[in-house]
Amino acid sequence: MDPPSDAAVIGRSLDEPEAFGLVYDRHAATVLRFLGRRVGAEAAEGLLGELFRIAFERRKTFDAARVSALPWLYGIGSNLLLKHRRAEARRLRASARMAAADHAADRRTSAAAIDAHVLFPRVADAIDSLPDSEREALLLFAWEELPYGSVAEALKLPIGTVRSRLSRARAHLRELLEPNGKGRERSR
Amino acid sequence: MKPVDLAKKLRREAAFEPAVLDRGKAALMATIRQEVQPMRRPTIIPRLPYENVGAALSFLERAFGFREVAAARGVRADGAIDYTMVEFGDGMIGLGAQGAHGAFSPMRAGTASQYITVHVDDIDAHHQRALASGAEIVSRLHDHLRDYRVYEALDLEGHRWRFLQWLRETPQSERR
Repeated sequence: MDPPSDAAVIGRSLDEPEAFGLVYDRHAATVLRFLGRRVGAEAAEGLLGELFRIAFERRKTFDAARVSALPWLYGIGSNLLLKHRRAEARRLRASARMAAADHAADRRTSAAAIDAHVLFPRVADAIDSLPDSEREALLLFAWEELPYGSVAEALKLPIGTVRSRLSRARAHLRELLEPNGKGRERSR
Repeated sequence: MKPVDLAKKLRREAAFEPAVLDRGKAALMATIRQEVQPMRRPTIIPRLPYENVGAALSFLERAFGFREVAAARGVRADGAIDYTMVEFGDGMIGLGAQGAHGAFSPMRAGTASQYITVHVDDIDAHHQRALASGAEIVSRLHDHLRDYRVYEALDLEGHRWRFLQWLRETPQSERR
């Protein structure tokens, strides 16, 4: 027999609240990694607790037509992350420094290394300065590797809106990376 | 490089302690139990100030058999317990960091200003457990007027606890 779908488990948890523990067992590790990538380990642990408490309290509103609860959990997480913008920006900048250092070690050509030290922090700033709605769509797509349909479910948007947000995010990033970045892009 | 590919370069995993997921599960199940069986709210809840609430909690659990009401726990930013509740039978007591609400641990204040009586079912077993856990016994276990058996102990920070078991339904003293 197939294990029950998330929708079935959440349905059952309306009468037997303890059943909701299974939703945690299935998805907590994925959700924790998602939060960790965004705000780091320490803040992620607190958010994980908040996220599942909110999910449990809102379980009645879960759309039973959805098979997996994961996009719904991502959506709750995305909302919570909006209150942690500073931690996110800090982590992005640190990631940029590390990516630049990795890149430099990889290439060993000083020109590329210098480029990376300029380029990655600029990418971090660009992501950070995207409008919230575009940044969420972009990071769910690029970091979490969610398909458009799941991004749409997470952000409670029609799929067409997700597409246009993503293309706006791409355009914004390109623009934000542009001013002094043309030459560097070409040198690659 | 394309913007999305550049963004991907900044994706970085966080390093978690292995226990994080277990702690999260325990917290969720506490929330769920709370809904199934809402926390009792006795009319009067004494609250005891401690210098180290976490150490006090584990001592009270170990030595006296109290149980934490997990849903009541509040944690500070550094992870230390700020306040919580314990229950025993139908009684409930709060533990909180000293200084809040103007109350201080006997360790700081130099003296306790109250003691708390707790009724237990098996006073000898309870006494053994307290002894084995290193509670300081300040009034030895003895019978009082054949009405009850009683002993008193101090916890880690010097709060005084009086444990007793009734030996008869109607106390001798009321028969006179």
